[in-house]
Amino acid sequence: MRKLRVWTAVLAALVGAAGTALAQERQITGTVTRATDGQPIAEAAISVAGGGPRAAARSNAQGHYSITVGPGDIKLTIRAIGYRSADVAVAPGQDVADVALNEDIFKLEELVVSGQQTGVERRNATTSTAIVTSEDLKQVQAATLDQALQGKLAGAAIQENSGGPGGGLQIRIRGANTAIGSPDPLFVVDGVLYSDATLPSGLFNVTGSSANRGRGELQDDAVNRLADLNPNDIASVEVLKGAAASSIYGSKAANGVVIITTNKGKVGRSRVNVTQRFGFFDLLRGPGERVFTDSSALATFSASATPKLDSATVRSYEVNGQLPFYDHLQELAGSKPFAWETLADVSGGNDNTKYYVSGGWTDNPGIITSSFAKKQTVRLNLEQTLSKRLDLQVTSAFTRNQTDRGITNNDNNGGSVTYALGYIPSFIPLLNPDGSFTKPALTYLQSNPLQTAALATNDEQVIRFTGGANLSYQAFTTDHSSLKLIAAAGADLFTQKAQVIAPPDLFFQQSQALPGVSSLANGDSRFLNWNLNAIHSYSPESGSWRATTSVGSQYEDRNLNRTQVVAQGLIPGQTNIDQGSALGQQFELRTEERTLAFYGQEELGFMHDRLLLAVGVRGEKSSANGDDSKYYLFPKASAGYRFANLFGQGSDLKLRGAYGETGNQPLFGQKFTTLQGGNTIGGTIGTQVGQTAGNPLIQPERIKEFEGGFDASFAQGRATLEFTAYRRRTTDLLLNLTPAPSTGFTQQLVNGGQFRNSGIEVALGISPVQKKNFSWLLRSTFNRVRSNVDALPGGITSFRPVNAGFGLAFGEFLVQDARPIQQIVGSVPDSLGNLSTVFLGDANPNFTLSLSNDFTFGNVFFSFLWDWQQGGVAQNQTLSLYDCNGLSPDFDAPVVTNPDGSVRPRGQYGFDACNNTGDARPFVQSTSFLKLREVSLGLSLPRRWARSIFGASDLRVSVTGRNLLLFTNYFGYDPEVSNYGAQAIVRNIDLGPYPPMRSFLFNISLGF
Amino acid sequence: MRTRALRRVMAAASLAGALLIGACGDFNVTNPNQPTLDDLVTNPTRTKLSAAATGLLVGIRVDVISYIWRLGSMGREGINLSGNNQPDYIEPYFGPLSGTGFGAAIWTNPYREIRNANTYIDAAPKSASVPGPEGLSSGEISASLGFGKTLKALALLYVVGSHAALGAPVDVDRPITDPPAPFVAEDSVYGYIIGVLNDAQNDLTAAGGTAFPFPLPAGYGGFNTPAAFLAFNRALVAKTYLYRATAASSTCGPTACYNAALAAIAAASPTFGGVGSAGQFATGVYYDYSAGAGDLQNDLSDALDAPIYFALPDLVTSAQKQTDGVTPDQRVVSKTAAATAPTPQSVGGIAITGTLKFSIYLTGGQPDPNHNIPAIRNEELVLLRAEANIGLNNLGAALTDINLVRTNAGGLPALGSLGTQPQAIAELLYNRKYSLLWEQGATWVDARRYGLLNTIPIPAGFANSTPPGPSQFGPSVVPTRLLVPDDECRALGKESGCSPLGT
Repeated sequence: MRKLRVWTAVLAALVGAAGTALAQERQITGTVTRATDGQPIAEAAISVAGGGPRAAARSNAQGHYSITVGPGDIKLTIRAIGYRSADVAVAPGQDVADVALNEDIFKLEELVVSGQQTGVERRNATTSTAIVTSEDLKQVQAATLDQALQGKLAGAAIQENSGGPGGGLQIRIRGANTAIGSPDPLFVVDGVLYSDATLPSGLFNVTGSSANRGRGELQDDAVNRLADLNPNDIASVEVLKGAAASSIYGSKAANGVVIITTNKGKVGRSRVNVTQRFGFFDLLRGPGERVFTDSSALATFSASATPKLDSATVRSYEVNGQLPFYDHLQELAGSKPFAWETLADVSGGNDNTKYYVSGGWTDNPGIITSSFAKKQTVRLNLEQTLSKRLDLQVTSAFTRNQTDRGITNNDNNGGSVTYALGYIPSFIPLLNPDGSFTKPALTYLQSNPLQTAALATNDEQVIRFTGGANLSYQAFTTDHSSLKLIAAAGADLFTQKAQVIAPPDLFFQQSQALPGVSSLANGDSRFLNWNLNAIHSYSPESGSWRATTSVGSQYEDRNLNRTQVVAQGLIPGQTNIDQGSALGQQFELRTEERTLAFYGQEELGFMHDRLLLAVGVRGEKSSANGDDSKYYLFPKASAGYRFANLFGQGSDLKLRGAYGETGNQPLFGQKFTTLQGGNTIGGTIGTQVGQTAGNPLIQPERIKEFEGGFDASFAQGRATLEFTAYRRRTTDLLLNLTPAPSTGFTQQLVNGGQFRNSGIEVALGISPVQKKNFSWLLRSTFNRVRSNVDALPGGITSFRPVNAGFGLAFGEFLVQDARPIQQIVGSVPDSLGNLSTVFLGDANPNFTLSLSNDFTFGNVFFSFLWDWQQGGVAQNQTLSLYDCNGLSPDFDAPVVTNPDGSVRPRGQYGFDACNNTGDARPFVQSTSFLKLREVSLGLSLPRRWARSIFGASDLRVSVTGRNLLLFTNYFGYDPEVSNYGAQAIVRNIDLGPYPPMRSFLFNISLGF
Repeated sequence: MRTRALRRVMAAASLAGALLIGACGDFNVTNPNQPTLDDLVTNPTRTKLSAAATGLLVGIRVDVISYIWRLGSMGREGINLSGNNQPDYIEPYFGPLSGTGFGAAIWTNPYREIRNANTYIDAAPKSASVPGPEGLSSGEISASLGFGKTLKALALLYVVGSHAALGAPVDVDRPITDPPAPFVAEDSVYGYIIGVLNDAQNDLTAAGGTAFPFPLPAGYGGFNTPAAFLAFNRALVAKTYLYRATAASSTCGPTACYNAALAAIAAASPTFGGVGSAGQFATGVYYDYSAGAGDLQNDLSDALDAPIYFALPDLVTSAQKQTDGVTPDQRVVSKTAAATAPTPQSVGGIAITGTLKFSIYLTGGQPDPNHNIPAIRNEELVLLRAEANIGLNNLGAALTDINLVRTNAGGLPALGSLGTQPQAIAELLYNRKYSLLWEQGATWVDARRYGLLNTIPIPAGFANSTPPGPSQFGPSVVPTRLLVPDDECRALGKESGCSPLGT
């Protein structure tokens, strides 16, 4: 009993001492440095664990900090962007605490999006995250941001549509989720909805790729307008892949949401970076050409060609007694034009104002004569503290983007240069000895592709402004709760002008009824959006849990207007659309869409967010829906639990699971049944009911997805492994069915059917060595999606999607119940020659895998990125052109066993398939490939060099290359191809695309 | 502290609320590119209805060219030898008919016209509630309804004329989301058409002296008031009664049908210049074509050296001779001419050479894309009257009409008697063939109606062709009907080439 009293007294004394000690404050100072090389870290946040929001400090440019704390044992937490946070115990009486931070190589502590205006540390996130930051984007020059992202995001299939200068890629996330809806992800740049519209230039007016405007335009090989971003301005790109992550963006998020954050200024002196790149582009790969002898030329061209060649004609081509070999592809696309890029940025700021200003100037000529991509960009980002509670952030960017991507892809008029190459035998010259253009005896519709490349233009120019403002108001802050109100607004505006000119002097134009085409197309796009958010955080005194409640609203207004006028029969030498003898195919198309959404989200974190639960819902109405006042609800729920130190100190294992729903809005106009005008009788114009029955009840496609996985990190974050498996179902698919013709309609829009995509995504990161003079970083992503048609509506079992291909004899897409969504079928003859339609492959690959390595030896750095795709098939119509005309280089090659069982050269099998048997098998080819996407070798030069020569603080030089090597059995150009541009289903159609290019650039970077 | 924070929050929230209300646009975005169907039906002003009426006039003749050459091919009047459309001559001569190409023609466009007509018939009465001069008067509404219903019936007559015993759907004015309209038997289709035409008659009569509230093109000259248009309507009902009387499963009681036809012809006669006046054979309703912007050209107006449409030489050899005993029937003389550039085509080892061209749509021997095509004219009414009289066994009355046509159109000697009823029918069909040559596929339609497909001559070179099965081809290698399109069969849950009524 006595003992107890003693203890009570001691305890009381201790408590009393503690109570008095609270009043006595002390100062702790120290320096925050990088563990590997002792470099100071600025803007590290130092806080006292459990000390509330007031006990906080930041390190200055030298890494020094000073913080006021109470006496006794305390724990400081030090955080800095790009580094792993550290806790430091400070004993009573200790007043200096230096801290060395380890780099957060795999971005485990990066804040990732968890709501419209909220974020969580990546290691605690409850859904799969994919994030790429600045240094991984700008090392090797890329035409566009999507190109810079290739091979770097687990779960995002990013593929080129052609090799043309200025980009043109498709980002596809988690499979094919729609048939006729939009296949594009939603892009958000600093909170501003960013248009990635693809506006065709009107090239189809020259190529005649289709008589139908809608189908022709898709084949114009246009660039999507993501091309207007300067990759150098990007701080990070985060992709919300799953429905649980993206559902806060509602019915435009079906194909994922790409959140792009641009660079911001940092506190400290002004920093200036200048990068100069120069080098050249080069043809990566092409089909090759068959080498002819007199007898093989006669055998091929005396019987079936148009016109037929006789032996005298063949002999007239002889040089020194034998047929010559002209490498037409080299003549067309063999140039190595000088390319350059200049980038500069200035950033800095103080506690109240931070700024980032940048400019970029890019000139990337293409390998085909007179094709090019040029881009100029200016950006200004500002952050201003207006008062203790009010912060304003303004972003603005201006871009001028010009391209001429030449005339390629499908063709019916003789315009496409790559198409015509498939008709011209290698012994027929394209140039006369005096350098003038020949009229080749064998070609497509009189085309001389060299002449076309030299004289025709396909110019487009975009002027774009994107600006956003974000006002954040700290309504109140107490020790346990806070409320923040955020209002944001943005505008994204651009105009595009495209002029395609095929002068009447062109040989292929002379075969037209009205030679000489000038097509003038204008487009203007206006996206406006604003949103309002309230974020309330609460944490009890114990600090054992927290709750973050956010509610908000979002409004979007999108307009896109396009017009086009085409003149034919141009006066020679004239390009003005007034100077033709006839007008054709003019149109105006306006689209307008408005969306209003409300959302709410609750996030509960326990044990310092090691257990995190989130639920949310978005309700959204849109003018695109049949019922424009109905709110569609998109709920989500997710949870994650992180076991700390499970595999030893500094290791983590997090298990997570999520369910979410998201949508894909109907396209503009799908709800309308139109009256078609334009038809007259006796000079009076009449209206008739349109051929497509719009659906006044049309609603968004709905994706429901379960996702689960784990994230593990080992050895203080030196190795990570992320694994995600998902299963998503798209229901209420937007489909164009063929109704009974007795209804008076030929098409009918419905919601129905179901697609299923399931897959796994793996991301692996290892840093085996992390020393001052040597570091090695290895990263890999793996992606596999299986797609299936679960159901189709209206009693149909299959349908041929629009632009499915060019006939069953060459392979076509067929969407069929219980089959892969992207299956390609084609005709195959039996032993009697009777054709039946057979499954020939799935365009969706078995898997993709990327592997990157980054090495640093002292001042030297070296990195490379490989991209491997296994499986998948394409409709290789470039091959069919060469095969049908007997021009494939393997026509005379050694015999092989062909799919029809015949033993003969493959080129002969292809020739026979095209001209006699109707066998589609030769033209549906595997798209497996291995590509060396990026290589970079560089050197950081000694500081004194930098100072003495340029007055700069650092100087780096490097040699970089993109798409340097491609290993594949695919015939022709590049298995990454899409004649129809970005497509949910009918990708992988190859028909004379712009040849793939590789780049070699020398780079000098200066920092001041 | 708390209250101040609360006040700040309230202020910010009301600002946000104001923004929410103020900054949202209208969500009811109307179509900025084209007019919409809803707009026509809910707000049918005079100008919109006028455009819709013009749309009906545009639509009714869309398939006429195709009707003439497709049915003309099946009746061996002519042939389409355009090389890049081989099925267009392979299918009708060698088979099999396909459910998507040649064989499925004359379906989608007429039903589209019926959809348009139903929309128009739905919209026109609602214009009564449109105030002021943009609304229609009740007389104008009646005129519009009579017009719309007449064209609707005509569109359906093209369908049943080419699909015959297969029947056709008639109850097609239903929401697109409903199941497809069921097929009804051929006889019921005729009954439906007659019902619609008689409805239209009431409307046109009710319109009285009101003018049509829309312009009619030149081809309707003389028929462009409701009262005159009624004659067109009566001519069509006469034709429908005769089609019905000769249909295989006819339930109309022949006498009633023939008498109704005669009454209708009598009613139509004055506006057609008097049925029986030799100088008025050309008087009638015509479809207009033109090369003007947005208009449809008369593609049948094919130059004598053009490689597309050819007349079959048998037209000349099986024609009767004029009074000189040498010159063939004047109608074949004036409607055909030798091809100046004979076109050879070959299919399945059979060479077909086009040597004879149609000249009826030429102007001064030259192609004329503006040439009109008759819808129905006086000469046909004379022969319809003869047909009704033959059906009633009034062979004397029929003889008068047939001789009128023989002597005036054909330059042939008058007949003293028609002989037996079957002989009278043969003589009637001969005259219909040459009087209506390359105008409406009458040769095939008539041979089918009278079960005489085996009398259609097989042109030289076709004799060794072996078209498949009796369902598509008669014993004479002539198709018995066009097919139900595959898409219609599929929508009904049936296989290609279906016969929903099992006929």
